[in-house]
Amino acid sequence: MILIQAIIHHTYFLLSALIAVLLVGRLFRRKTRPGLAYDIVYAYAIIPFVLRALHIK
Amino acid sequence: MSERTLAARRLALLAASLLLMVVGSKDIRALRAYRETVVVSEAFTRQVPLSTYFDGIRGTLMDVPVFVFDSGVPGGSVLILGGAHAYEPASPVMAYVVMENIAVTRGKVFVIARANMSASTLGMLGNAYPPFFRVKTPWGEPKYRIGDRETNPLEQWPDPFTFVHYPSTQNLAYQDSRNLNRTFPGRPDGNLSERTSFAISELIRREKIDLTIDVHEASMGYPVVSTYVCHERAEEMCMMAAMMLSAEQFPMKTENSPKSLRGLTHREIGDFTESFAVLMETPEPFIDKFVGPMTEALMLTGKDEFMQTAADRGLLYAEYDIKTGATLDYRVGRHLGGAAEIIKQMGEFYPAKKVGVTWPTYAEVMEKGVGAFLHDPAKAARERVFRH
Repeated sequence: MILIQAIIHHTYFLLSALIAVLLVGRLFRRKTRPGLAYDIVYAYAIIPFVLRALHIK
Repeated sequence: MSERTLAARRLALLAASLLLMVVGSKDIRALRAYRETVVVSEAFTRQVPLSTYFDGIRGTLMDVPVFVFDSGVPGGSVLILGGAHAYEPASPVMAYVVMENIAVTRGKVFVIARANMSASTLGMLGNAYPPFFRVKTPWGEPKYRIGDRETNPLEQWPDPFTFVHYPSTQNLAYQDSRNLNRTFPGRPDGNLSERTSFAISELIRREKIDLTIDVHEASMGYPVVSTYVCHERAEEMCMMAAMMLSAEQFPMKTENSPKSLRGLTHREIGDFTESFAVLMETPEPFIDKFVGPMTEALMLTGKDEFMQTAADRGLLYAEYDIKTGATLDYRVGRHLGGAAEIIKQMGEFYPAKKVGVTWPTYAEVMEKGVGAFLHDPAKAARERVFRH
């Protein structure tokens, strides 16, 4: 039970890191919505995922 | 726009975001890393990690130190449990004042100042309050964490859709799975909060704790503010203690622990251990939902105009006057007086369980302030200084 909990818990951090990487990828390489507003949204949206992946927040 | 210019713009935006993240998370990181300092009294006997009683929390933030003050003279034993809800900081501060000033002549006293250390490492989502508050002392202004009510999701996640309390199977709110005062008596293979509760229950069983005092603060719109909440086995002691306090020191109510509300210390410790279980609440305007800005000043003074309006309209469950507020001195003093009185009453009702103990009184704290009873770690012997 504790092991399963730990696996789920750490998967959560891995997923956060994965999403952060995906967002960085989309920030630089995407075919649709190339405007400045979307650049800002992509760059800004990375913050909570990085904070979580680094065990800060 | 050329590809190169576009890439440069996006790189600049990414750098700006990361800079914003670093700057914006400064307080969050500081709160998580900060450790409070305590100078234990000469009555200090030993310190052991909570995992001594249950290995399932070893290596986690919940593996907090347990401080023991043993007179060496046979008598009763008391556990003071501070910081179960970190955003009720008169609780750990009361525990620190006890640890720094306690003298024990009979029996022994165990103190956990930060029962939910994890909860003290984050603020409450949606409540823009400061991470720390400072207490004025003759030698400086030590700071203390304010924290949240529940275990930090960094230590325990995900929350269930509904938290099913063990062993009663009562359904509680999802966030109560991280609420240390809803997870007692604990479960050895449960989530981190349940395992922590189990470790504390094991401490109580193995050390044969006679009286457990769980120290809290309450919003003034909550009926049990300024109250002892007691397991039925401790009912008479609590009634007597409340009467004595109300007659001689400050208003104190008492009520029995509801049998149908599960997971709380005053219910489960009473049911699942031999200990008398008592929970104490003081008025803490800071955590009422209708106060104005949640500032450090509000934490220290408890003075708020909206609280006064609520008091004028008879909406509070304790007396309130903005001229006096509900200062940290008052709240810590109440806890010190409340704990001393219930310990005294246990000795009156059960002489074999008598604990001879002294620490600053309510009157002394009201006169001199809490800071007068916190000692300068720079001038203390190294073996008596603990970072916590």
